[in-house]
Amino acid sequence: MRKIAVLYSGSSHHHRTYKTSEFAQYIHTRIPARQFATTDLSEFDVLLIPSQSHTGILSQNIEKIYDFANSGKIVVTFGPPHTEWLPEHNWEFRPTNFWWWLEPGADSGLRLPGADHDLFTNYLTLDDATWHQHGVFWPSEGCETLVSTEDGGAVLYIDRVNTGGIWVNTTLDPDYHYGSYFMPATERFLRGFLPWLQRGVI
Amino acid sequence: MKDYIVIHPQNVFSPESIAPQFDCIDQYDLANTDLTLYKCMIVLGFVDQDFLLEEKAMIDSFLEEGKIVCFFGNLVTPWLQGQAMFQPKEIRWHGDYNVQIASDHFLFDGVLEDDMTTNKGVKGFFARGHHEAPANAEVLLTLPGGETITYIDRESTNGTIFMHAGSCFFQLGLGMQLEQNKTTDVIPQRMLQWVDEEWARLQGGANNA
Repeated sequence: MRKIAVLYSGSSHHHRTYKTSEFAQYIHTRIPARQFATTDLSEFDVLLIPSQSHTGILSQNIEKIYDFANSGKIVVTFGPPHTEWLPEHNWEFRPTNFWWWLEPGADSGLRLPGADHDLFTNYLTLDDATWHQHGVFWPSEGCETLVSTEDGGAVLYIDRVNTGGIWVNTTLDPDYHYGSYFMPATERFLRGFLPWLQRGVI
Repeated sequence: MKDYIVIHPQNVFSPESIAPQFDCIDQYDLANTDLTLYKCMIVLGFVDQDFLLEEKAMIDSFLEEGKIVCFFGNLVTPWLQGQAMFQPKEIRWHGDYNVQIASDHFLFDGVLEDDMTTNKGVKGFFARGHHEAPANAEVLLTLPGGETITYIDRESTNGTIFMHAGSCFFQLGLGMQLEQNKTTDVIPQRMLQWVDEEWARLQGGANNA
């Protein structure tokens, strides 16, 4: 089982998602954001960067996070990113349509090119990853897009090519919504995604 | 004396450019900030509540000096004197999110309960739980079970605590388009007026322990 560390911001949202809910069991260590710069990450297999993290602390520690990845480890980022700091990701901001599901015959616009990936054969369905997005990535060649928009923008993808490790990046923000007691799909997403992160095929 | 100090969590969803009438600090600079300059502290919902608990003495002192703290969010650590932890609402149907005006107060004079409850016909944005108000608090808004989502506490400290279990009532951001052509549009301006009036009341020394 992989040891998962999370950059922990102490907000009510992170408190619920990563500390007091059923999902805390998947987190080996919560690293207080203020102590992140001085924390030794070498014992961890996965570093999870939550949505709504402190942007200044993130910016000051980009090199540290890349060093972690380049030691052959896994970095996971939830969206939306605060700046263009992910490897070769080509972020495209798109205005969020919070209301798509109110329209008759609504289509979320999401597609599942990664239907055969372990994450979606054993842990999640596309419905579990469907609420809204804040933009898309256009990752470089060689990255594996698991969830996309209908025009091919990446909503969740795996990057094994741009650093010495693996990045799992998504524009989705399940931890924020679950921590806000909002959007039932985000609970289902975390119920599949975190066990996969701990023991699935990445 | 300035009016406002905003304790900012520096996350993506909190306003980036703050209007000049509000002084704004990164939450982690709190210990290095001279709070004697300010009347009212605005604490935003994404703040690091473990950190604020470590700095509780500063916030206690601020209130002890007869000042105002406004918190908008879900309290999960006991950094704010006398306040109960957030309790999520158990939702059985969407009507459980209906916001109700509990007492006459100019903040919500003419504001329709339905305008607070719904956004584009969807409920649940305003508050998804509550903090149990201390005894003798002035309760402003509740959920249908009487859960106190918005209240003013003048008794737990020597100052005044304004609690709302939801988004910020002040319009902090430059260029933010909060107006929705709803009756709720008046709330940000009235919050400024309320702080002025509350400050005058506190300076008068009335009603406080």
